[in-house]
Amino acid sequence: MSQLALVIDLNVCVGCHACVTSCKEWNTSGLAGYLSDKRPYDKDPTGTFFNRVQSFEIGQFPKTEMVHFPKSCLHCEEPPCVPVCPTGASYKREEDGIVLVDYDKCIGCKYCSWACPYGARELDEHQKVMKKCTLCVDRIYDQSIVEDERKPSCVLSCPTSARLFGDVHDPDSDVSEKIREQGGYQLMPEWGTKPANHYLPRRKTSLTIHHDELVRADNPLKKEEQLPQPDFDDPSLDDVTSW
Amino acid sequence: MKKLHYQEIEGNSSKFFLLVGILGCIILFALGATYYMEHHGHHVTGMTNQVVWGMPHVFAIFLIICASGALNIASIGTVFGKSMYKPLARLSCLLALALLAGGLAVLVLDLGRPDRLIVAMTYYNFKSIFAWNIYLYTGFFAIVIVYIWTMMDRTVSKYYKIAGTTAFIWRLALTTGTGSIFGFLVARQAYDAAIMAPMFIVMSFSFGLAAFLLVLMFSYQWTERELGDKVVIRLKNLLGVFVAGVMYFVIAKHLTNLYATEHHAVEAFILSDGGMITKLFWIVQLGLGSILPLILLYSPKTANSRNAIISACSLILVGGIAQVYVILIGGQLFPLQLFPGMEVSSSFFDGVVNTYSPTPAEILLGLGGIALSLIIVTFAVKFLKFLPVSLADDVVDPHHS
Repeated sequence: MSQLALVIDLNVCVGCHACVTSCKEWNTSGLAGYLSDKRPYDKDPTGTFFNRVQSFEIGQFPKTEMVHFPKSCLHCEEPPCVPVCPTGASYKREEDGIVLVDYDKCIGCKYCSWACPYGARELDEHQKVMKKCTLCVDRIYDQSIVEDERKPSCVLSCPTSARLFGDVHDPDSDVSEKIREQGGYQLMPEWGTKPANHYLPRRKTSLTIHHDELVRADNPLKKEEQLPQPDFDDPSLDDVTSW
Repeated sequence: MKKLHYQEIEGNSSKFFLLVGILGCIILFALGATYYMEHHGHHVTGMTNQVVWGMPHVFAIFLIICASGALNIASIGTVFGKSMYKPLARLSCLLALALLAGGLAVLVLDLGRPDRLIVAMTYYNFKSIFAWNIYLYTGFFAIVIVYIWTMMDRTVSKYYKIAGTTAFIWRLALTTGTGSIFGFLVARQAYDAAIMAPMFIVMSFSFGLAAFLLVLMFSYQWTERELGDKVVIRLKNLLGVFVAGVMYFVIAKHLTNLYATEHHAVEAFILSDGGMITKLFWIVQLGLGSILPLILLYSPKTANSRNAIISACSLILVGGIAQVYVILIGGQLFPLQLFPGMEVSSSFFDGVVNTYSPTPAEILLGLGGIALSLIIVTFAVKFLKFLPVSLADDVVDPHHS
């Protein structure tokens, strides 16, 4: 069984919210829509989102850094929201592992929201059914879309390519390779829910430079500082007078 | 011993019509509140995606707990053969049905899509404790109606014992199901404990009996029928034991949690830093809802006073609502733990204690459930023989077999 999922590279996510808005745009007008809002431009706005970017400030000032953490339904392999649903409206697809909600069966009891340890489910305030990320299931199999764009909307919109999409059960897929090579991890694996979505950690490159490496001990010219330094206003010819 | 007679109440006094009028008005207001919430959507309530169950659920779960507890009086007579409780059995069953109906009405009207109740009846996911509860609730209605039938119709009275025993077992299962809604929740820090189910059962004993005593005392007072001290004293002594039982479970639950470091944060929230939740826990649930009633019920000065017993029962019910509120809302206000061991705060509710302020519409819907339960009882005792003509000391048999 394949398991489609997102792999999100926290190293390059800049928290621009492009994934949030493109998700909302695609899904509010698609089969999973609409995603209602209340007071979207006023005080205390509320609304339904499949995907949110949560920004965490790490450390104590001044030694802080910001991590942007996009979070949507993680499409768990053992989703706790599915067994609790009284009508079976929440279900996991056999063929690709996507966890979906059948809006026509959802009675709005919100018990799945209690059961999800990741807080990924949101009740649409007007339609009063539970909604969540569908991995753009209405897009990724749409033959009328060019093949290259048969990906979730958030993946296509990410300017830094922080979001990758693919089958995490296929060891040769790009996402599996990224998880393997770059230490991809799951959110709260201790719950035993086996989230399909993975996160690639922040990777810091540090280089120790010793002082003597900054001095050209074997400079063949040894005359650098003696070279002509023409006045700033002097006429110049590039490559000749500009140093 | 005099023979026991059951008779409908006259139900034509001004008090009766006043009661029906008040209850009817509350129900109408509750229906208006439901329409308002249904028409405008979830955002006009205090509920959010962090606090998904609010005040209506508090009332609904409280009423469902009371319902199964109210049946206990009948069970003590039937299952355990205590003859003094047998005259009370019909009212006990009636109150159980009425409270369950009131609770379920609130629960259903607070669903996102109450219009899809038929979906809940036709599609079942048997792994869901919620789906089990649908069977447990409807089964409860069926079994208790049969139970009442075996009491009222002599031709089927041979099934009385078996119906009563089935109802008793079923009610234990029902409250186990209600408690397990929280017991089976692994995602939230405040729940996921096996003690939830037995704690809810003992809560039902206490709240159900308090509700029963109040209904019994007021119905006999208003219809000017005789209610002897023996019945009342016996019931209030039993009630005290149940109140102490609830306290025991509450203490055991919190002590167990306090022992595990993992739960320290959520316990600190409930017990000391939770603001309104902490006040409700210590002042209303424990102080007013448990300790004060115990004093009223057992203190030699007040033990035999009807007013003290009425006060104690009322306080137990108020404390009960507070207890369900603390369990239900308190558990949701405490944030999800996405990064255990870390101090977390983000731009979207992480690590932040959520807020919840119930709106009047939600409270009205909850009160509507209580009013519905009471109006069902009021009409049922008017049209059917639920209440003994007299429960005087010489009518009931205090020396149980």
